[in-house]
This record gives sequence, structure tokens and C-alpha cells, in this order.
Amino acid sequence: MTEQSLLKPACLMLVTVIVVVAAWEMYLRNQGHAITYDDGSELWADKRAMVYEPADKAVVFIGSSRNKYDLDINTWQNLTGTHAIQLAREGSSPMPILNDLANDPDFKGRLVVDVTEGLFFSNAPPNLEEPQKDVQYYKDRTLAQQFSFELNYLLESQLVFLDRYNFSLNAQLDALEIPSRSGVFMMPIFPMDFTQSTFERQSVMSERFMADTALQNRVKGIWAFFRKLSKEPPASGEQLEGILQTVKTATDKIKARGGEVIFVRTPSSGPFWQGEQMAFPREKYWERILTTTQCPGIHFADYPAIDHFECPEFSHLSPQDAAVFTRHLAEIMEKEKGWKFPRTSGR
Amino acid sequence: MIFNSYTFIAFFIVVLILHNLPFSWKVKKINLLLASYIFYAAWNPPFILLLWLSTVVDFFVGRALYMQENPFRKKLLLVVSLIGNLGMLCFFKYGGFLLDNFVLAVNALGMDYHPAKPNIILPAGISFYTFTTLCYTIDMYQKKSEPVKSMLDFSLFVTFFPHLVAGPIVRPPQLVPQFETPRTATQKQMFDGLLLLSLGLFMKVVLADSMLADTADAVFNTASMLPALDAWTGVFAFSGQIFFDFAGYSTCAIGVAACLGFVLPQNFLYPYAAIGFSDFWRRWHITLSAWLRDYLYIPLGGNRHGQLRTYFSLMVTMLLGGLWHGANWTFVVWGGLHGLYLWVEKFFKDRASVAASGLSDVGPESPLPGRTGFFAYFKVRGFVFALLTFMLVNITWVFFRSSTFAKAGQLLQSMFGMAQDGTALLTSLAIIKVCVIIPAMVLAHWWMRNTRVLDVAGKLPWWLLGFLWSALVLLLIMSQQSGSSFIYFQF
Repeated sequence: MTEQSLLKPACLMLVTVIVVVAAWEMYLRNQGHAITYDDGSELWADKRAMVYEPADKAVVFIGSSRNKYDLDINTWQNLTGTHAIQLAREGSSPMPILNDLANDPDFKGRLVVDVTEGLFFSNAPPNLEEPQKDVQYYKDRTLAQQFSFELNYLLESQLVFLDRYNFSLNAQLDALEIPSRSGVFMMPIFPMDFTQSTFERQSVMSERFMADTALQNRVKGIWAFFRKLSKEPPASGEQLEGILQTVKTATDKIKARGGEVIFVRTPSSGPFWQGEQMAFPREKYWERILTTTQCPGIHFADYPAIDHFECPEFSHLSPQDAAVFTRHLAEIMEKEKGWKFPRTSGR
Repeated sequence: MIFNSYTFIAFFIVVLILHNLPFSWKVKKINLLLASYIFYAAWNPPFILLLWLSTVVDFFVGRALYMQENPFRKKLLLVVSLIGNLGMLCFFKYGGFLLDNFVLAVNALGMDYHPAKPNIILPAGISFYTFTTLCYTIDMYQKKSEPVKSMLDFSLFVTFFPHLVAGPIVRPPQLVPQFETPRTATQKQMFDGLLLLSLGLFMKVVLADSMLADTADAVFNTASMLPALDAWTGVFAFSGQIFFDFAGYSTCAIGVAACLGFVLPQNFLYPYAAIGFSDFWRRWHITLSAWLRDYLYIPLGGNRHGQLRTYFSLMVTMLLGGLWHGANWTFVVWGGLHGLYLWVEKFFKDRASVAASGLSDVGPESPLPGRTGFFAYFKVRGFVFALLTFMLVNITWVFFRSSTFAKAGQLLQSMFGMAQDGTALLTSLAIIKVCVIIPAMVLAHWWMRNTRVLDVAGKLPWWLLGFLWSALVLLLIMSQQSGSSFIYFQF
């Protein structure tokens, strides 16, 4: 073994790393990219730990991606004076999270459940895996993981390049879109401007996405890809009854502890909305949730103030529309559904 | 706490600062001990009680074993120590497995017995620190070394955080003397340590987690039969993942210890350049192999009681070595397969001892000066044998990684083209990653098989090493892989 110290190579390494990272960061900022947060199980667990805030101070939201795009958290918090705790997980059924909250005797708060029928009425494992992973992570997370999360937040909140979904090594390799053999499933890659995640777990489309119809069409194409992929017919018969009973059991538990649950059908538009109406007729699915659980519900199609939104890619609201939708949602909850907020949401 | 986490970086900086402040040596050791407990408690604080129990019991039993002259009492003390250590390991690691097998056996005999599933959490690193403390008490019984004088030194020997949860498994004479005299890292040790830490993290985070883990998981978790290409790619990916994961951990551990001025034993020496299986076990998880050799194989008789006894000792050692890795029969079969390979190798070596004595000596270290052509011939032959060893090791990984024999059988059928209508699973990108990394890994092992990273680093021009080091760190930063556990923690 050589006796020479590695001081010189270490100094060179340090300088090179600082220069390259700084150059990468500056380049990305110049390209107009903004800070976004890794919305993995760590961030989910951070929010999950907040559900014990008093019921008059916080509202918990679960569901899928529509809840994350359509609820504008700033608008909600400013209007209602309550903390919006976003626990929805994109592309998934809310059932594992609903059950987790229902089985937690310490959760006695208010819950808003987003209903995207294709996901809500599905027991397909791919639609359950992510929320199950989140719940498990929350239960198992160690003190060290919690501390790492806090340190990670300090870095993520300052550095644009720390965007795992778009700028990590694997994301860069995936972006090459190397063709595969026929029959191999390749997960489509969403344009990076489609999703920017805030620390509160709100998903936001970027201005570039809003201005670029090619990007919007690409996402519409991805929805068409997933639709073709889905071979299962919508749940019916025993399967549907089973799902409804599971939901009822969960909501009953929450209500028995003094909690409140409301279901919300968030907007979709164009062929997506038409397809959803055909596959999941309202009286067979949406109405059944409300009658089975005896919980109130808000369907966007019932309210002129929120029934007219054009989703840029048929399924999620633009940031501007999300603010409008959120304002009306809070008003409807307060005026029609009897939810009381510390600050009045009406104008 | 895991090395590949922000928490560890913050923790390590604090430990380094404290270790280099002008405190007395005793205070520095207390700092290291407290830091080690914090390191361990960051997983699950209550399990620290087990660690204390193991430490206190073995400290006093070890001393009593050394002093005791009465053979009966001495044996009794040894039995107490073995029951204490192995009992704890059996309960936490094998409790569920033993119960499952018991239930299976009694039901096979016609009894209808279905007890509730025990919910036992495996304390991190229990297999490692149990072996660390066991070797101390056995050494005391055999009077191989002196008892550790202070409880502080013994606690630090058991708990020293770089090796605590996944080795290298240290012996008392390797580490305890280092606690007896004050030490901080020299400038050379510090930078060597930082280089090893960077390399270990690169192996774990970039190669194991970022490049190979998804491919291995996809292949081993699929329920379908696969084309041979996908099956082999998945198995190769796992062979790379397990090496980079575990050798990465050991490299980090050695690097972290070096930054504090301590030396831990090597745990990996380019195992995929091994020529034959006895060579493989001299290169893979070296400290466990040496432990099993000294505390199991030799006490079982080793090679001193004839051929049959040697074969028996070899197989029992490998089967128990397999079981040490996990409470599942698939691990036992993995060990058994290695035992079988060692049998075959020994059989041929014994039959043609003169000719076959070259088998493990035909690598580049073969002392054949001045006969270049001859040397080159053996070098090529050695590489071919190394490749054959690597391929056969890959077969064993199928059992190691598969959760059930059905899964292992299904994958083996796919690998050998016996799967009808296999469904293509892996993307071109996944296959390309494996096709680049695995051959590069095998070639790097062959190139490095008789040297060490730090030797090679010391010989490189400083600017070249600086740029290579930068590349490692930049890839580490760019991979942005969130801290996932090391595979060997579960063992």
C-alpha cells in the first residue's frame, strides 16, 4: 500500500463535484425548471402523522391524482382556516388509506374522499400497491428515516436538480425511450411539466404545460394507453357489493368516533368524462356509495359553479381552475353539507 | 441508521468532530460507544436492550470461562453462553420458521394443529453481533486469547457502529487491542477512508439500488414463465446486486472505521474472479467463512479425520452457513449447493492432486517466471475456470433470492429454455444495464483479483484518481436513490 495521502485527489474531487453540480443546477434553473418535491412514501408519511390535529383545525383528503391537482391547498387554507392534509395517492384506490384511518382509533377528524370510479371501484393489485406501501412505510419508519426526511427537505427546497422523477440518473436513462421487444410492458413517461409537487403534496401543471398543446396531447395519449390496457370490466355484482361494504365499514368506524366523511366526485371532461359515465353509471356507482354509507357527497355535475371546467388533458384541473373549484367546494361544504370552518368560506 | 442516508452523514460528521477534539482516550471511547448505541437505536430503540444483555452476559461469562479450571464448570459456562446467544438468535430469527416446520410435521402425522402466527420482529444485525460475541466466549473457553480487561472496551468491541449490523464479523484480537491505545486517523487514513466510503456508497446506491435492483426484483417477483434471456438477465442482475450491496456495505464500514483511525478486516476480495469454490469462499464474505471454518468446520473434525469426515464437515458447515442467512429452506439448499460444489472440487483435486493443484494456482499469481506463453495459457485457462465458477454461483443465487422452491424451479426452467411461451418482461434498457455492468464487474474482479483498491488508487496519477473519484461522487448524487436498506440487514 502506498504511503502517499490522497489529499490532492480529494481536493480535485471536491472542486470538480462542486463545479459540476453548480453548473447543472444553474442550467436547469435557466431552462425554467422550478423546485419540486419527491412525493414518495416519506413525504406521505410526514403528512399522515398530521391527521391527529383537532377536527376543527384540519381536514384530511384521500383519493387519487384528481384530488391532488384539483384541491388548491393555499385557497382552501386561506378560505376555511383549516389545514388541508393531502393523503391522496395518484393512480390508486383510496381503500388502503381509508381502512388505515378507519382502524386508527386516534383519528377522529374530517375526511374528504375523492371518487374516481375506475380506481375507487377496483381491487386490482396495481391500484392498491402504492397506498399499501405508503401505509406500511408510515408504520415502520424509523427515527433515522424521519431525520433523513427533514435533512432532505432542507436540500430539496433549495436545489432544482434534486427531482428524482425527472433528473435522476434513471429518469435521464428512461427519457432515452429505447424501444423494447414486442410484448414488453413499458410504463409511459409523463412530460415533466405535467407534475410539479409542492411540499403539501399538491400536484400542479406548469405554465409551459398549460401553454403547450403537444404536451397536453401526449398526456391524453397516455390516458388512452391505460384505457386500452385495462381489460377488466367495471366491478359489479358481488365484487361491487364487497367494495361498498368495505367502504361502509370504514366510514361507520370513523363516524362512530365522531369523525365526518364526505365523498367528492371531482371534475373530468371531454371523452374521459363521457367514457366514465358509460362505464360507471351514476346511479349504479356514485349514488350507491352515498346510500350505502349514509355519508354526504358532492358531485361536480350537480353544481353549475363547478360543472363546466375543461381539463387540459381531460382528467385534471389547471392550477387556475383548481383555485376556483376549491373555493366553490368549500362553499358547498359549508352551506349545503353543514361543515363548519373557523373562517367562513363564503364571499 | 444506514450508511446511505443523510442522517448517517450528519451523525458521522458529529462523531468525527468529537473523536478529534482533545478529550481523554476514555472519553473518546465513551463517545464512540454512545454513538454506536444511537446508531443502533435509530432503528428500533427497545432492541438495544438485547445488545446490552448480550454484551454484559458475554463479558462476565467470557472472563469466567477463561479463569475456570474445573472442566465440568467450564463446559457448563460454555453451554450457558451458547444457549444465551444462540437461543436469542433462534427465538428472533428462527422462531417463526421452527414453528412453521413443527406445525407442518405434526399435521403430516395427522394432528390438526394451527397455532396463531407469531409476530416476531427481527432485531437488525442480530446474526452479526451474536457471532461476534460467540467467538469471544469460545476463544475464552479455548484460551485462545486473553479476556478483555474493561467492560468499556468489550462493549465497544461488540457495538462499534461500523461493523455492528452487517459486519465484517470481527474477532477480539483484531479489534480489542485497537481500543487499548489512543488513536485518531492519520491524514492518509482519513482520505483512504473517505475514498472507501465513497466507493462503498457508489456500489450500493448507484450500482446495486439504482441500476440492478429493479431488474432483479422484476424477474424474481414475476409469476410468469420467462424467456431465457429475461431469466438469465434477472439472475445476473441479482448476482451484481447482492455483491454491490454487501461488498458496498463492507467497504463503507472499513472506510468509516479508517476515518476514525481503526482497521477492520477485509470482507470481500473480488469473489467473481474466484477459480473454484474454495477460492470463492476465500473471497466472498471472508469474515463469515473464516468464522464458520474456525468455529464449526474445524470443531466438526475438519480434514483431520479422513475423507468421509471431511466431506461431512464440509456439507454440515455449508448447510448451517446457508441457514445463517435466513430462516427458509431455500437458504439451506443454497448452502447445500455450495457444499456440493465444494465436494466435487475436492473430489477432483484429491484424485489428481498434482495436475489439479494447478487449478487454484493458475491465475495471474502463478509463479511461472520466464515462461510467458505457458503463463498466458494458464492465465486464459484460469479466466475460463473463473467464468465457469461465476456461472455456477449464479445457479445458487436462484435459491438464495427465491422465496419458494416453486419460484426457484420456475426460474431455473426459464433459464434453461424449458419454459413454454415465456412472457418477455424486461425492457431493452434493463437488459443493456445488466449487459454493461455485469461483464464490467467480472472483468474488474479478474483485473483486481490480486491487488487492493487502495493499492491501485495509490498508483494512479493524482489527477486521474481525482476525476475518477469525482465521477463516483457525481453519479452518487445524480442517482437520487432514497435510502434503502442493505440486503444483509435481514440476515
